[in-house]
Amino acid sequence: MKDFMMIFIGADYQELGLSPEELQGRMGKWMAWGEKMGAQGILKGGEALVPKIKRIIGKDRTVSDGPFADSKEIVGGYYIVTAEDADKVVEIAQDYPDYDLGGTVEIREVMVFDR
Amino acid sequence: MEKKIVDHLFRHHYGKMVAILTRFFGLSYIETIEDAVQDTFIKATLQWRKQLPDNPEAWLTKVAKNRTIDLLRSIKAEKNRIERINSGPSSIALNELFLDYEIEDSQLRMIFVACHPSLKPQEQIAFALKTISGFSTKEIAAALLIKEDTIAKRLQRARKTIVKNNIQFDFPPPHAIQERLHRVMEVVYLTFNEGFHSTNNAELIREDLCGEAIRLCKLLIKKEEFRSGSLYALFALLCFHASRLKSKTNESNEIVGIREQDRSQWHFPLIDIANSAMNKSMEYEDLSIYHYEAAIAFEHVKAKTFEETNWKSILKWYTKLYELQPTSFTSLNIAIVNLQLNELNTVKKVLENLKIKDLGQRQYLYFGSYAEYYLKRGEKALAQSFYEKAISKTSNSLEREYLRKKLAQLKS
Repeated sequence: MKDFMMIFIGADYQELGLSPEELQGRMGKWMAWGEKMGAQGILKGGEALVPKIKRIIGKDRTVSDGPFADSKEIVGGYYIVTAEDADKVVEIAQDYPDYDLGGTVEIREVMVFDR
Repeated sequence: MEKKIVDHLFRHHYGKMVAILTRFFGLSYIETIEDAVQDTFIKATLQWRKQLPDNPEAWLTKVAKNRTIDLLRSIKAEKNRIERINSGPSSIALNELFLDYEIEDSQLRMIFVACHPSLKPQEQIAFALKTISGFSTKEIAAALLIKEDTIAKRLQRARKTIVKNNIQFDFPPPHAIQERLHRVMEVVYLTFNEGFHSTNNAELIREDLCGEAIRLCKLLIKKEEFRSGSLYALFALLCFHASRLKSKTNESNEIVGIREQDRSQWHFPLIDIANSAMNKSMEYEDLSIYHYEAAIAFEHVKAKTFEETNWKSILKWYTKLYELQPTSFTSLNIAIVNLQLNELNTVKKVLENLKIKDLGQRQYLYFGSYAEYYLKRGEKALAQSFYEKAISKTSNSLEREYLRKKLAQLKS
């Protein structure tokens, strides 16, 4: 078994102007997904990220606050799951609730270092 | 984890929080308040994903209170109130606003603000749906079949008018209450109708609109000084109609006419509630269109089968209704009832004197009635052409399907 990170990109609820009812509906789907993964014992952790960005770039360590790219490219959060391979994670990611809002899931394997 | 969040919790909480905060800060901050409350839900959506709080409602209330203090900080003019809010009488005052009774009181004040005569009627409905009922601009647009831009403009105008006229977040003075209530009831009634007769095909929005109208009506009834025969009659009317809401569409989301509706599916507890509200309404002296409309709705739910419908009584109530409200829509209904009674000459006469334009989005019903009239006369070709006309006039896909089916039956 390996660890994978599912990175959620785009679909910023704030910017999309979702109504309270829609937000509740979305949240219900996220919770159901989380519970499903929890019950299967594959969810190891994860966080949601605040959309405010600070970047430090270059040898001068220039600090800037953005806005950088399109909000479609902003990472909104991540989950870490355990699975056999990336294809299995693709299956897990079928339940990500925000594809219809233009959201993207990026799957990355967590590197394991030899001892 | 078996914790479940109550349906519509966010939407209902939105209206509550906006009302409480407005009571505290005043109407001039309404836009800031609405934004702040919206933020609370976004926060909840992200945070609750990970772990649902033991008491979601209490969590929302707590965050709303904190938001209140944040707001105070961000509003410069209110700066010195911060000190007072963390301790002293102000903090007690703020906490008290979160008591159930006060929440309801704040929401009622908001209803009266929404129906303030300085707002245009179309602005009133949009404002009420947004600020009291927590619909987004997009949802209001979908519910009222109006462009999102237009709704946004109406909301903007309403907020501007409220600030410009310095409207207070308060009830009207006692002598003006009944008159203003009149408009409040109209707004509730229109909201319900948008849901019930809506030419909208999104079923969810229809149910939500009806539910909201009933909730607001209940809120009004709780307050003794607002009660009247009209208010109880309106409540009865909404409940009678709502009892049939589920059976108005079938599993494949097609409209089911009252003739074909599965009457065992009607929601009888609601009919009971409606009946007792109807009895209550008789204890007052005032009489309104709601009384007659409720009486008509009652006749429909009373009949065990479509054939048992007492059309004569219904016609009597429609005639009374017409005396109070001589609109083309009432006339159209009179024609439809006469169709059932096979009074074909009367049908023709009534239809001929109708102003079609007044019927707006419901013109298809007029053409549909003509179609049935010709069908009964045995003039199939004319019936067919009127069904076609009716089909072309409806924007509702469910209604269209229903009419198409009738047309197909006619052709076969």
